[in-house]
Amino acid sequence: MSFELKQKGNALFKEGDYNGAEEMYSQAIQKNSTEPTFFTNRALTRIRLENWTGTEHDARAAIALYGAHSTASLKSAWYLAQALLGQQRPQEAHEVAVTAYRLSLKAKEIKPKDSQTENLSRVVLRAKQAVWAAKETARVRELDETLASVEGLIEREVERGVEELRGQLERGEIGAVGFGEEQKEIRGEWEEKGRRVREVFGIAGEKKGLVERVVPDYLIDGITFEIMHDPVITPSGTSFDRVSITKYVEQAKVDPITREAMTVADLRPNYALKAACEEFLERNGWAVDW
Amino acid sequence: MFASKRLSKELLKMQDHLPPGITIVKSDNLEEWQMDIKVLDSNPLYQNQTYRLKFTFSNKYPIEPPEVQFIECPSTSDHPRPIPIHPHIYSNGIICLDLLSSAGWSPVQTVESVCMSIQSMLTANSRDERPPGDSDFVSYNRRRPRDINFFYDDDNV
Repeated sequence: MSFELKQKGNALFKEGDYNGAEEMYSQAIQKNSTEPTFFTNRALTRIRLENWTGTEHDARAAIALYGAHSTASLKSAWYLAQALLGQQRPQEAHEVAVTAYRLSLKAKEIKPKDSQTENLSRVVLRAKQAVWAAKETARVRELDETLASVEGLIEREVERGVEELRGQLERGEIGAVGFGEEQKEIRGEWEEKGRRVREVFGIAGEKKGLVERVVPDYLIDGITFEIMHDPVITPSGTSFDRVSITKYVEQAKVDPITREAMTVADLRPNYALKAACEEFLERNGWAVDW
Repeated sequence: MFASKRLSKELLKMQDHLPPGITIVKSDNLEEWQMDIKVLDSNPLYQNQTYRLKFTFSNKYPIEPPEVQFIECPSTSDHPRPIPIHPHIYSNGIICLDLLSSAGWSPVQTVESVCMSIQSMLTANSRDERPPGDSDFVSYNRRRPRDINFFYDDDNV
């Protein structure tokens, strides 16, 4: 009975009726809340509907039903990471994706076709980018706030100077003409200082944009031409991203540079390069789209 | 998916800089590109000529090689493009080059590096002849270039 509802949900999903599909899966879950595929299917439907809190709920439910260490839960982990990204929680998304990515590498040894490695690898990079973007926004905002308070200080300084002059005028120490001239001078002087402050802030803010956005070649995977996230090294000493080199070696069974026979088992992680990629991405999240 | 991302990156790089004698003719979609190449030295077989290469990509590129062959534009057209004479190039434009076979391909090769390899394949040649059996091959072959098991016996050419 509940599986019939799921079938109906799948049919509606195929037609693109996501609201209808969600309703069918929800009914199926009402009847049987221990079947993980009901939750994974509803999670995917909710991704299409961009209902991120709903996706998160369903993905977590499915993971709990499958067991977090079961490779069957990898797809749900992929959904969960997307849901967290959708909710602007990149740090959590990153943790989920990295853990699942590691688990998927183990799964790959058993069932290569079914593994989510490639999807997870991509979402790890997306999450890194989102973490960077959040930091970058905060940095710009802080810069703006600092500039605003410096401008406030300048404003107050001008007012204080003018107040003092007015006192001198009232006490008859200076005439009206002198007051006007001195006031003009004070304002002019601080205006100039304010201009310089904005200039310096402007340079500091712009500098990031002015620097050419280039990813160094040694961080680039020679197959996809994208920045690596899990570099591995071949017997001939060249590093590639694990996902793309695995695809190639599974098919060609040779080292792409020397064409000597090799297998996926000959690949070794390149930890130093991985650290370099991670450090670069932390400061340059844009590199994910490069 | 795999192919289009990688190809758009190659294109960006090539629009920025291309080695001498290589120009992009057509790259408006990510399935088929056309490139013009010239031989830069004074090899009399190819002097003052421009040749056109057609690249066809599958969605498994660059895991699998692109299909690359010369195409002809008639000598009466504004931009005549003959098929270069070479003991490894059939008169229908099919190229016998180890690099382009499934067994010889490497995913670190690019459109640019393939063009350069073909340039140097022409540069190094001094024989004014077609491969043996050219007319038979041209009339009877219906296979796709990468499925043909060329016999790469003559590495000196």
